[in-house]
Amino acid sequence: MTAAAAPSRFRRPRRDRGGEDTGVSARRWFTPWLLIAPGGLWLLVFFIIPLFSLGRLSLENGGLSNYSTVISDNSTVIIRTFVYATLSTVAAIIIGYPLAYVIATKGGKYKNLLLALVVLPFFVTYLVRTLSWKILLFDGGPVVSILHSLGILSESQGILGSPFAVVAALTYNFLPFMVLPIYVSLEKLDRRLLDAAADLYSSPARAFRKITLPLSLPGLFAGTLLTFIPAAGDFVNSELLGSERTVMIGNIIEKNFGKEFFRPELSALSFMLMAIILIGVIIYARLLGTEEIA
Amino acid sequence: MSNSAQNLTSRRRFLGMGGLALGGLAVGPTLLAACGSDSSGSSSNNGGITMLNWPLYIEGDEPSTSPTLKGFTDSTGIKVDYKNSIDGNESFNTKYQATLEKGKGIGADIIVLTSWNAAAYIGASLVQPFDSAAFPNKKNVISRLSNPSWDPGRASSIPWAVGQTGLAYWPDKVGGKITDVNAIFDPKFKGKVTVLDELRDTVGLTMLGMGNNPSTGTVSQMLAAVDKIGKARDAGQFKKVTGNSYTEDLALGDTWIAVAWSGDIAQLQADNPGLEWVIPSQGGMLWVDNAMIPVGAKNVEGANKFLNYIYDPAVAGPLYESIQYIPPVTGATQYMTATAQASPFIVPPATPPLYEFDVVSADVAEEISRAFVAATEQ
Repeated sequence: MTAAAAPSRFRRPRRDRGGEDTGVSARRWFTPWLLIAPGGLWLLVFFIIPLFSLGRLSLENGGLSNYSTVISDNSTVIIRTFVYATLSTVAAIIIGYPLAYVIATKGGKYKNLLLALVVLPFFVTYLVRTLSWKILLFDGGPVVSILHSLGILSESQGILGSPFAVVAALTYNFLPFMVLPIYVSLEKLDRRLLDAAADLYSSPARAFRKITLPLSLPGLFAGTLLTFIPAAGDFVNSELLGSERTVMIGNIIEKNFGKEFFRPELSALSFMLMAIILIGVIIYARLLGTEEIA
Repeated sequence: MSNSAQNLTSRRRFLGMGGLALGGLAVGPTLLAACGSDSSGSSSNNGGITMLNWPLYIEGDEPSTSPTLKGFTDSTGIKVDYKNSIDGNESFNTKYQATLEKGKGIGADIIVLTSWNAAAYIGASLVQPFDSAAFPNKKNVISRLSNPSWDPGRASSIPWAVGQTGLAYWPDKVGGKITDVNAIFDPKFKGKVTVLDELRDTVGLTMLGMGNNPSTGTVSQMLAAVDKIGKARDAGQFKKVTGNSYTEDLALGDTWIAVAWSGDIAQLQADNPGLEWVIPSQGGMLWVDNAMIPVGAKNVEGANKFLNYIYDPAVAGPLYESIQYIPPVTGATQYMTATAQASPFIVPPATPPLYEFDVVSADVAEEISRAFVAATEQ
């Protein structure tokens, strides 16, 4: 009896599990792929295939020499692009972190309103936002007249067309992308950790350095990527607010991609831009120690 | 006046905005578009014709309201599916050239391209000759444009729009009148000058300032002009080397002198009466966009009839008065108002002369283009 009962007790669950296994595992095997399919197909058609064709194009005519040509011809532009992107990202951190911190910790019932204000500029087209800067910054405009009367700028100096105008506009246009991820990571920070630090006689500054900052690194990391990458590829700000002294990689590509003989070199330039950004991001991730978050 | 003012938004300026908006998306989709069989013309247009043209090359914003198109349909029964879809020679080539090279149609019976590009299309037989029986008014083309070296006797291309490149400036800022094209290189105006990033315009004017003729000049003269532009740029002479956006700085008064397109200035002057337009004493540049019938066109006869209709001076007069370009049709000005006849944008004075930049070979074009990019961007 016991001998017969024992196997049945074993068998039934096993059989049940077995019976379920085929069904569930088939479904389990199938479902994720089904869920990935639309996104994956989209990426394949609109990202992988163009990328592949771009890669092939970058090797036409000159082959690998396209890459060396394009580096030597555009070295100034390449360096300038990454300097601008870095400066605007750093500026966005300096402006965005305290802003996100205050909204997350002191915002209280106004949190949502303050966040909405951060996002508000996005309700206006990127192009119009940038163009409106022109009206603020032009030589006869309010900002320049104030700076002239304060003696900060000499009479012959202006702002439009200068690197400052371009970096400032890049910062402005991508600032919300910095603020929002930092806000999210600060918002979910467990306040009891700070209370505990205070109980253990830690100064607020030390508590910030040891607790708040490390725990907000994922947000800072995401914000940096969301700011730096589009800033490095941007051409609108330099086109509208800069001059031929502020040309960025994006401007070179935008202006010349239509010229057939330039296309292989410009494809090479696009790949270079992507490679440099990728390497930069990997180094940055290592430095911050947030590979697993990325 | 109010009617023409509405149409004054020049095509190039209009394109600038679209270009900026689309530029960021250009890289991927253009490659895909190159593989796909894109036929933007509707084949269902039974008995009608499809025309692809640049924006603001017909009356009004909405082609269906154009009196010219309506007049043609009323008199011939042929419907015109008119599309403002050409936004640049280079982007047009990216989109359609490969299809035309296979001898396939692109769903269009008429296309319009700038001379240097039209020359390449004719050279590669991507367009077909006109039918002189259906297009007798072809003889009305103005004499200076009647026999270009790249299309003798206008066998397969006919001017649609003719515009000028000259200087626009603020007399109160520069301290008086300007007539010399070399003012753009004058150190007095350092940092207050914008030049166009279209090399045929800026290099052409620079050549004129150096005493060379841009219609017949040698490659070394062209390169010398590029060199001069590069040196001036390095010295900080130019506020900007730019495309369509030059009008904004000019309107704000930050730019004192600009190399400018006639259509833009015609519009800017409406809001800024102080702004001056001048064809410099050495001469100005002329650009021509040409209508052609591509290979694989479905209604060749209809296309010929339509161009024939446009080349009737009585039709051309009001059309070109409205779009504010030089009419390429002899006698068209007689059908314009006195205001239009007095406009330097529609009827430029005989002197100073206007030059069309030489239609150079593809190799030369590449050489100059590379030099110009290095001098003005890199």
